[in-house]
Amino acid sequence: MRISVLTSAAAAAALAMVALAALVSATPTRAEESEAALGRAIYAKANCVGCHKWHGGGGGGYGGAALSLRKTQLDRDQIIMTVTCGRPGAGMPSFLRGVYDDDAKEHPCYGFSQKDLTGDNHVVEAGVFLRPNEIAAVADYVLAHIKGRGDPTLEECLAFFGDKSRVCDIYEPKQSHKMPTPTTVN
Amino acid sequence: MKADKLYLRLLAGAALTCLVSGVAYAEGGPAAEKPQTVKSPDVTSQRLDNADKEMAEGNWITHHGDLQGHRFSPLDQINKDTVKNLHVAWTMALGGIEGGGIWTHGGLEGTPLAENGYLYVTDGWGSVYKIDARGGKGTLIWKMDPKTDHDWAGAVACCGVDNRGAALYKDLVISHTLDGRLIATDKETGQVKWQRQVANPDKGEVVTGAPLIVKNMAITGVAGGEYGIRGWIAATDLDTQKEVWRTYTIPSKGEPGIETWKGNVNAEVAGGGATWVTGTFEPSTNTIYWGVGNPGPDWDNAFRPGDNLYTDSTLALDADTGKIKWHFQQTPNDPYDFDSVSENVIVDVDGKKLVLHANRNGIGYAMNRADGKFEWAVPFVKQLTWTKGINPQTGKPVEYDPKKDVQGYNIAPHRGQPFADFCPGNMGGKNWPPTAYNPDLKLWYIPVIESCNRVTIAPEKAIPAKSREFFTGGGPSQPVRITGSLTAIDATTGKVAGKYETRFPDLGGVLATKDLVFSSEPNGEVYALDAKTLQKLWSFNTGGGVNAPPITFEVDGKQYVAILVGMGGAWDKWFIDATPELKTMQPGSMLYVFGL
Repeated sequence: MRISVLTSAAAAAALAMVALAALVSATPTRAEESEAALGRAIYAKANCVGCHKWHGGGGGGYGGAALSLRKTQLDRDQIIMTVTCGRPGAGMPSFLRGVYDDDAKEHPCYGFSQKDLTGDNHVVEAGVFLRPNEIAAVADYVLAHIKGRGDPTLEECLAFFGDKSRVCDIYEPKQSHKMPTPTTVN
Repeated sequence: MKADKLYLRLLAGAALTCLVSGVAYAEGGPAAEKPQTVKSPDVTSQRLDNADKEMAEGNWITHHGDLQGHRFSPLDQINKDTVKNLHVAWTMALGGIEGGGIWTHGGLEGTPLAENGYLYVTDGWGSVYKIDARGGKGTLIWKMDPKTDHDWAGAVACCGVDNRGAALYKDLVISHTLDGRLIATDKETGQVKWQRQVANPDKGEVVTGAPLIVKNMAITGVAGGEYGIRGWIAATDLDTQKEVWRTYTIPSKGEPGIETWKGNVNAEVAGGGATWVTGTFEPSTNTIYWGVGNPGPDWDNAFRPGDNLYTDSTLALDADTGKIKWHFQQTPNDPYDFDSVSENVIVDVDGKKLVLHANRNGIGYAMNRADGKFEWAVPFVKQLTWTKGINPQTGKPVEYDPKKDVQGYNIAPHRGQPFADFCPGNMGGKNWPPTAYNPDLKLWYIPVIESCNRVTIAPEKAIPAKSREFFTGGGPSQPVRITGSLTAIDATTGKVAGKYETRFPDLGGVLATKDLVFSSEPNGEVYALDAKTLQKLWSFNTGGGVNAPPITFEVDGKQYVAILVGMGGAWDKWFIDATPELKTMQPGSMLYVFGL
């Protein structure tokens, strides 16, 4: 009996923990929200959206086809490596300043220095460089909010853009909107 | 004081409280004390029909200067003898530099308008600025900010945060926004009178071109050929704000031309055929000439077997109904992204009534205005590899085979060989920056991108399940350096008359005067050439990337040249690797005005 009570108590506690865990995962903590906001801000600042789109789905375009971050198999270290080094011969830029400098002590990116980046090994340099901790933060953002997701959703779109733009309308077709109100200064 | 004479002539008999010069000017600049403004007369359709004559009086009242698309001014104070003394008269910092959607910043591609001493310019997000240019300085009179939805529009703008200028109608300034609105602003107060949603970014449609005023209508073209749209040209009655007609560039089922889309490719949903460059108008025949862009998907032409009408075509439209009078397709079943959007310049040469069109495919075409009959073609680029030439009878590429569903031409990427290098590259031998035509010399000046690039096919299986997604069937890369030129074509012979080569592509467009040609390079240089010899006579480096066309105007009896400076558009995002030195150019937003 006692055992049974204990078992029941343990089961209840376990259930409560599972429920709590579910609640925690459904309701992001302030720290998680802050981390997501930071990652999202870097994702926007570095113009990842320019090719991979806000939702990470990538696809064809004037800059060439960007791979889908939603379907990526890369792990954290591989994402950090790809953002840091870019992809030789492809459109993905390198985001860490000086990473291919010829006179650097180490050549962490494929063992290449600037002189190796000719022809098919050309690497595009990013318009905005990131610090190593920013690269880690954007990798964590991709892992937590993009990788493994299915089709983009209204909630994801609103989390990215907020509700001041009509950019998320295609996920919410019945919403009616007014045109913006122009302003004049004179 | 020619502008004043015109003003008095136009307003003779009208009851007006007007006034006048003799105003004490403060120092110029946006925040300067405002001079007393002088009410400008209504811009009537009669004035627009005679816009070329107003240019002699110092005005520039429609996008291409005149309805014919000449961008030719007879003003001659600045000429080949005096141009060496040309210098900055004043500048003004504008706005619109912020990013949105997939874009980190906006840029300036607009053609300024000039009327009776006032300039009307736009920035990339569609703000309109009225600037008093009297007294040798610039003073901001008003700025109308349309509060464009940056992310909604910027996420489906293939090629930059762009707005190519405004239009004038009666007492209104008519303008577009990237998020698809047509806006009428009171010319005197800057207050918005009305606005109308004419394009829908939910479908991937945006608007970058300037409106063309035809009679009482604003003609709007749409952009979005990379986002699986169905292109159109629309006419809005500016007095009732109602749509008069909308002509789709892709036929629907049962209409002529749909047979050129074989297989079930949903062309009437996502066939492309955008119309993003402002056209021309011939009042005497009531005909609008307008170019149509690439089919969708851009590069995977096996997805859309057939000629794909009316993509990559010049259209002649009845101005009252929008009905297509004739078409001429330059690149059937296009595998290159060779839009035919460029303006069709109305010229009369040796008794022939022609339109001239500098296509992205590197070839300049002359077509008969009455029926679209092909007259002649001439390559205006140094390297042209995609075709071995144009059939002199048909005007089609010599490799074109109407029996084939999928064209390969001389060289093209295709599903069996998914990448290919071809010249000119996909930005074209000439993109949107406008040509100019000197009717005295019969010389036609083309701003050229001397280029090759590589396109890699990524076959499409179906049109996108959701709108607002790229639908290109692959993408370009830039393995070789790109340069530029300003190339002159003799319209009487259809031959190249001269080429001024430049280190960078011409991304701005051309202005012609009696004995000069003005243009620019994206490294900041604005320059003037001798109109006959193309010898450089003057240049000035603005310090900002130039990708907007120059105009000239006169005020207080003095001639000026105006140009917007602020790198935007597609180049610094998608094509910068072909011009690596331009990576150092910073975003900016400035109006430069030069005088003697």
